[in-house]
Amino acid sequence: MDKKEKQTPAKEEKKAAPILIQMGIFGAILFVSQLISDLFPASFVVPTPLVGMMLLYILLATHIVKLEQVEKFGDFMISLIAFLFVPSGVQLCGSLGLMKREGLQDICVIIISTIIMLVVIAYVGNFFVKMHQRLAKKSDAVSAQNGSHHLAN
Amino acid sequence: MFTQSLMLPYTGIFISLVGYLLGMWLFKISHGFFLFTPLLVGMVFGIAVLAIWAKGIGSTTAAVYTKYYLPGGNIIFWFLNPATAAFAIPLYRRNDIFKKYWLDIVLTLFVGGFISLFGIQMVSKLFGLSRVSTAAMLPQAATTAVAMPIAKGVGGDPAITAMACILNAVIIYALVNFLIKVFRLNKLSRVGNGLALGSAGHAVGTAKALQLGSIEGAMASVAVVIVSLAMDILVPLYVNLFMK
Repeated sequence: MDKKEKQTPAKEEKKAAPILIQMGIFGAILFVSQLISDLFPASFVVPTPLVGMMLLYILLATHIVKLEQVEKFGDFMISLIAFLFVPSGVQLCGSLGLMKREGLQDICVIIISTIIMLVVIAYVGNFFVKMHQRLAKKSDAVSAQNGSHHLAN
Repeated sequence: MFTQSLMLPYTGIFISLVGYLLGMWLFKISHGFFLFTPLLVGMVFGIAVLAIWAKGIGSTTAAVYTKYYLPGGNIIFWFLNPATAAFAIPLYRRNDIFKKYWLDIVLTLFVGGFISLFGIQMVSKLFGLSRVSTAAMLPQAATTAVAMPIAKGVGGDPAITAMACILNAVIIYALVNFLIKVFRLNKLSRVGNGLALGSAGHAVGTAKALQLGSIEGAMASVAVVIVSLAMDILVPLYVNLFMK
């Protein structure tokens, strides 16, 4: 696994698609995603970026789109994500009245809720994954040879 | 005289950048004090500037926000579309994990998500939140664009839901390392941790998960999608069962 990762950076420098093409791919995907998102009813909202993520994943998994055609732009976008959230945060200024009324309770509940979600899902996830690995070990001697269980976790 | 120009996107973009850069500087000189997380500073700075501006011209903060900040803010906000879609990339890089653990992923997010709803309702009760506010708190694991309609559908105030989702991201972004230490998450499955970060912290949580590792990042990316779908199904169910 490590060897592969060391070789690919050099390969990718040669093959990375030009940034405009990468943007074009994203643009096309998002355009189609918007149309697909419109097909979902108001009771089951699937927003454009989520459709976009699923679409890009499918295109990558079926090798219609290659990693080096999207990853420079994609990784760059991801690196900006905290900044991209600033407008969402500033949007809260429209709720200042609400904040004055029950802001303090809301914030406390939200902080605790965030921690609850983080911890519960982490522990539940751990439970299911460990169970999966135990069951796999019992029924699959070959996997133990590859050491894939150790690598996966 | 400058009013027309101030309504152009330059204003919103400039305010956002200055606030965020200020946060980066404060974060650096304070050696990582969590309240100086650039995202939080950027938010607070932006709101403060708009509030002062509103006082100065005798208007409301909301009006100043809509007129002067929103044009620029919307442009920055739009880039969340390609940025969120881009999470398919770290997910695909660890396609091996995804294909192996897909069932664990779905089970974890549905079961863990449902359990979290109990926790959230209990805490809301503890702090004396109204039914409207409590209902608004429930879907916060989902991404903002999905959580708000869900909240509306079960009688919650979507403004509170938006606040919850945004604060989720800020809290995770600021405190992830601390939370991992305190709750011993480093002893747990990396797959589970990734799912947790994506659920609790949304896109920002996913970015943090990527810093921890490719597995965590991949799982967080998946979580953002699946937990949103899970909340779409579970929240109305939960409200019907336990909040009537």
